[in-house]
Amino acid sequence: MEILGAWSIVFFTICIFSYLFGDNPFYKVAEHIFVGVSAGYIAVYTFWSTIWPNLFGRLWPASESSDSILMKIWYGFYSIFSFLIGFINKSIFPPGGVDSGFEMNVTYIIPLILGIFMILRLVPSLSWLARFSIAYIVGMISGLKLYSFLNSNILMQVKDLSVNTGASSWVIFNQLLIIVGVIAGLIYFFFSMEHKGFIGKVSRVGIFYLMIKFGASFGFAVMGRISLLIGRFEELIQYSSSDYYNATPAIILFIIISLTVWFMMSKNKEKTEMEV
Amino acid sequence: MNNRIAHILLSLGKVDRKIIFAIIGIVVFVPLIKPEWVDIPVQISPDSKKVFTELSSLEPNSKVLLSFEYGPSTKPEIHPMSVALLNHLFAKQIKVYIMALWPDGVFMATDALEQVLSNNLFNVEEYVDYVNLGFKQGGEVVIRGVASDIRQLYTKDFKQVSIDDIPMMSGVNNVSDFDYVIDLSAGTPGTTEWVQYACDPKDVPFTSGCTSIQVTDVMPYVKSGQVRGILAGMPGAAEYESMVKEELQRLQEEGFPGINADAVVPTGKATGRMSAQSIAHLVMVLFIILGNVSYFISRRMKVKE
Repeated sequence: MEILGAWSIVFFTICIFSYLFGDNPFYKVAEHIFVGVSAGYIAVYTFWSTIWPNLFGRLWPASESSDSILMKIWYGFYSIFSFLIGFINKSIFPPGGVDSGFEMNVTYIIPLILGIFMILRLVPSLSWLARFSIAYIVGMISGLKLYSFLNSNILMQVKDLSVNTGASSWVIFNQLLIIVGVIAGLIYFFFSMEHKGFIGKVSRVGIFYLMIKFGASFGFAVMGRISLLIGRFEELIQYSSSDYYNATPAIILFIIISLTVWFMMSKNKEKTEMEV
Repeated sequence: MNNRIAHILLSLGKVDRKIIFAIIGIVVFVPLIKPEWVDIPVQISPDSKKVFTELSSLEPNSKVLLSFEYGPSTKPEIHPMSVALLNHLFAKQIKVYIMALWPDGVFMATDALEQVLSNNLFNVEEYVDYVNLGFKQGGEVVIRGVASDIRQLYTKDFKQVSIDDIPMMSGVNNVSDFDYVIDLSAGTPGTTEWVQYACDPKDVPFTSGCTSIQVTDVMPYVKSGQVRGILAGMPGAAEYESMVKEELQRLQEEGFPGINADAVVPTGKATGRMSAQSIAHLVMVLFIILGNVSYFISRRMKVKE
């Protein structure tokens, strides 16, 4: 299994690297498998780690037992789901309820309904129902973000702009530099006045600050990408050993030969088409 | 003669990108297979030092929440940080609570834990010294949940053990019950969300280890003290590794009870990768200079024409 894993890692890494020399079938295969596996993996993992315990576990908890008619009807629905879904997978709705350690909370029927509405986007005649779910998500996230963003990104950052006169001259100089940068940057994005004269000069200072920021971002981006390349190379080196049946050289050779044949065949095809 | 140099420089600006890829590939590859050829020392930055000092100042049995927000794609940068942080925290006899906001994060956490435990350096026990709570979907909503009531989100850990049966979970109800929060982040949700939704509102000390690409976004929080120090990409990981290694060796020599005297203190992976990183940066800088020189020469030639 470990050998198979190593060969898969090497194969897909080389497939992705092959894009550096142009789009080709190996790259396409790796790309499609990656997208498919990622989507499937996230969907399944999210269901079992969040939806199943936190939603179903609260709507039909296993520990709940009551003789009331309402509860019997409620768990009657569960039994129907259990019977229907049981043909596919019995552990989704196990007999007796979902054992995830939560107590019953009927209000969780609201997220269940909103979730169903979201899935109804796939049914054209009922896709409008998804708007309710989207409206809820947008409203809830906006409200959640408003306070936290104001607090962390504006109030606390503005507070930090104050100059500590008791600090060393170097610290004060740095703080002044930041204040100038903030003001100049804000003026650069202030479009209600024409950027001429004094405002123009300040906004130009703002451009310099922005360029420094972009330069730093570029530098860090390069660093990040090189780190990823190092990670890939390390695994390729590791799996080139005889312990893994020389996976790296074998796959590189196979892909180079295949790509050479493929490029030659595509060129011949193009040539024939041109002649026709 | 001058004309010839100008033409060489001009042609360098028109080099096929495949050649540039190949050169970058070679300069990264060679230091990895022959590390003895290039040995560039690691300088400790103030931000990494701050993370180390902050965590070193925690008392034994302090509670630290370690959140994993990265996957295999950013593993080379962040995984060495995770391993070094776990080594440091276990060495200080700190209780570690692990969670993940990314589906892959929980497997990264498991891998990092296995790596640390396999060294047999610490006498740590699951559910007494560390617990892996696993992954929950929802990003900022989960962080908000951790900030208000962790038991509304988690009833069982990653291995499906009820958190009521886990000794180290007693008295842990929300983020305020932790002495420190550390986020290992490669994107969203990550450091920014932890600052905004949990650590700023609840005033819990927080630090982050993040990918290089995120550093410029997180830096304002570091400067204002909302994030206490930062481990910035692979260099941050290498710096932290070297500080932790020194600390572990020191504690082992002093006979600190939390560390096995006969175990070998491991060298982290990031330190060995930094030579390749540094050489690649030098080549990139060279390319940028040559590209600019070539651009200015071509512009001058056009003006002359």
